[in-house]
Amino acid sequence: MNIDLEMDETWKEEFLARVEKDGPWASWEMYELALEAAHHLSVPEFHGLQAPKHLPHLTILPHQLEVARRVVEEMNGKAILADEVGLGKTIEAGLVLKEYMIRGLVKKALILVPASLVSQWVRELNEKFFIPAVQQKKSYVWEQCDIVVSSIDTAKKPPHRDIIYGQSYDMIIIDEAHKLKNNKTKNYEFVQNLKKKFCLLLTATPIQNRIEEIFNLVSLLKPGHLGSSEQFAKTYGKTRAVQTNDHLKALVNKVMIRNRRADTPIEWAKRHVEPVLIEFTNEERELYEAVKALRRESFAGSFSLITLLREACSSREALFLTIKNMIDKCGGAVPEPLERVLEKINAVKTNSKAEKALELIRSINDKVIIFTEYRATQLYLQWFLKQHGISSVPFRGGFRRGKKDWMQELFKHHAQVFIATEAGGEGINLQFCRYVINYDLPWNPMRLEQRIGRVHRLGQTDDVYIYNFAVKQTVEEHILTLLYEKIRLFERVVGELDDILAKMNLANLERYFEDAFVHSRSEGEMKIKMENIVAMIELAEQLGKEGGERHAAT
Amino acid sequence: MQQHEIRRFVERYFAANGCTFVEANDDYLTVQLTAEMDKELMNRPFYWHYIERTGGVPQPMRLTLITRASERTDKLKGERLHFGAPRLHQLFRSAQKRGSFIRLYEEPSAPLDGNAALHPWLGMNVTISYECDRKKDEIVSLGLHLISGTIVESFHERMRERRLTPKIPDYCFTISPLIKPRSGIGRLEQYIRSRIAADDHAWADEARRRWADDLALLDEFYKDCEEKPECYYIEKEALEKQYKPRITVSVINGGLFYLLPRSS
Repeated sequence: MNIDLEMDETWKEEFLARVEKDGPWASWEMYELALEAAHHLSVPEFHGLQAPKHLPHLTILPHQLEVARRVVEEMNGKAILADEVGLGKTIEAGLVLKEYMIRGLVKKALILVPASLVSQWVRELNEKFFIPAVQQKKSYVWEQCDIVVSSIDTAKKPPHRDIIYGQSYDMIIIDEAHKLKNNKTKNYEFVQNLKKKFCLLLTATPIQNRIEEIFNLVSLLKPGHLGSSEQFAKTYGKTRAVQTNDHLKALVNKVMIRNRRADTPIEWAKRHVEPVLIEFTNEERELYEAVKALRRESFAGSFSLITLLREACSSREALFLTIKNMIDKCGGAVPEPLERVLEKINAVKTNSKAEKALELIRSINDKVIIFTEYRATQLYLQWFLKQHGISSVPFRGGFRRGKKDWMQELFKHHAQVFIATEAGGEGINLQFCRYVINYDLPWNPMRLEQRIGRVHRLGQTDDVYIYNFAVKQTVEEHILTLLYEKIRLFERVVGELDDILAKMNLANLERYFEDAFVHSRSEGEMKIKMENIVAMIELAEQLGKEGGERHAAT
Repeated sequence: MQQHEIRRFVERYFAANGCTFVEANDDYLTVQLTAEMDKELMNRPFYWHYIERTGGVPQPMRLTLITRASERTDKLKGERLHFGAPRLHQLFRSAQKRGSFIRLYEEPSAPLDGNAALHPWLGMNVTISYECDRKKDEIVSLGLHLISGTIVESFHERMRERRLTPKIPDYCFTISPLIKPRSGIGRLEQYIRSRIAADDHAWADEARRRWADDLALLDEFYKDCEEKPECYYIEKEALEKQYKPRITVSVINGGLFYLLPRSS
């Protein structure tokens, strides 16, 4: 037998010392308890998962269990976890980490996540997994704590970097790993030089769009799995997507697990979507037209007309803030066209959208989440609802973790309405609520998905209702009816659009809209441009489906 | 570990350490800790430091442990105990620390005709861990007769069947060991080594194969580099840590047992 064998010496020396001193000796009962504890802590088999036995309070879904099992048994603890949004990648990663810790194979682990998610990871690992993870706040933490959570941006900077390079990690977990797709970046180099026994890379964005990106990610995890970069370029350089090459796909699947919602037998709550079209009052209409007229002004290039139009649809307060900023920039005299807008703002006495929201909230008579893009609108709505005896809680992405939790609790127990601005989408769970009002629509469909994902996620047992507000004959109505309804955005499951947009590489979707709405000389031209965008998305979907069918056939 | 086993373990642990139960029913138990147990479990060194310096009257804490959720535990301030609970694992560690070393004498079950000689045995319970990128443990209980050098397995199970006491019983005397404890431990270690050597170690071969596979991929990845970058060596070392098979033997507990000789 040629295996290193190590005998633990500590017991021996202590025992001999006690023989010498004639004690102290344990009672038979303590002696038995010690042995019993050892039996409970020992792991009798190489295979199988121990972690679930340690986590009886945690509901682990079958696909999550299967992921953990495969990572440990088939992938030797190195994997890319790429489940679609909302299937619980954090749970999967926690399970794998817990399993290795129970088996004594991981003592020191480093978890790198976006700064905004650090405290959430710490909390989940502690509360759900009883893993004593700590947030890196002082530099001694790197050396003295075993399970450390940090942002990659902190970790890669001196003096942290050198301390981290001095550590030998049993496991590295990286959330949002798609940010490491470029091997020329500092982040990539940083991760490449970490000492890591086991490694999990978590990403929701499928990397199947660009083939070099998946090469980079896999090479970080397991260098050589896809060959050297020259070989890879030679063999697969002409391949456009991973799915189109069966051999490559098989290789990638050896290190990557991707569950799709459609593949899991989970029953998702039903989603009802209702467009709510709103009529402006005369004053509001005049204000909107006055803003539109700014297009013809000489200083039009220095601001985004589309932003002003969208603000005019949200609240006069939101519009006013921007206009005021513009006036401040001009210095001295107020330009005449802006003066006109200000007058119109003053003339507006009501907010038709807010009235509609109030009516809806009263008829729902249950907890409601309102999403708006603007802080000014958020404040206004809170005041407006208060006037009508409805309690609400404001929420912004910039809140610190403690405040986020507090607001979430307030909403759960004390308020009827939760008013969130855009960034509020991340890191909160509001499954106890099932009514969502999109007070104004974001122009990035991904953000819309995130909003819906807050309530329509694992654990939601009741039907979900989504109301999309849009003012008639404005950019809002166009974006709603010409785009979102055309591509059936609201009927899709979360994550699906993700795939499609990734394939299209449509990072600048918003710029297309701006072009359609602002630079079109006629209604007709604008509609044609919107139709083109719809057609592009449909094409990308078609291509995706074909890839999917081939996948099913193999 | 089932809930009732946890309950049983906890009760025995606290009873063995001189704590009293203030309240105990099917769902939970409240334990009045002794000062010693408070120091062991409650992690409040400043309090104890303060009490000792000021000569104050110590007030050890009470601990409420819920072993079965029910209506009456809903509003109860207490800790839920389950297999993964940090508190239970703390008790495991404490039990192992406090139950490591023992010395016992066998009590004759029937009145003796005259004096009886008790033979010295060295007992040891050990965990053998087989480790690569996976891990498995095996617990072995061994006993060594410190006169003849005979080694038996399942020693602990045999001890359970005997009446053992910490004080030497009347009319009994112990025979001095011919084999000293230090060399006794050495003999048991040697026994464990040969026991392991005789085992089938296919697991280690498989781990080495996985290791070789990954190493080959790594070399392939950097084969065009004339001078290998640092991350090549980092990764290479990490692969060794990940896959290299190793076995560790650690002693759970053990001690001296003075036993009446048996014919069997």
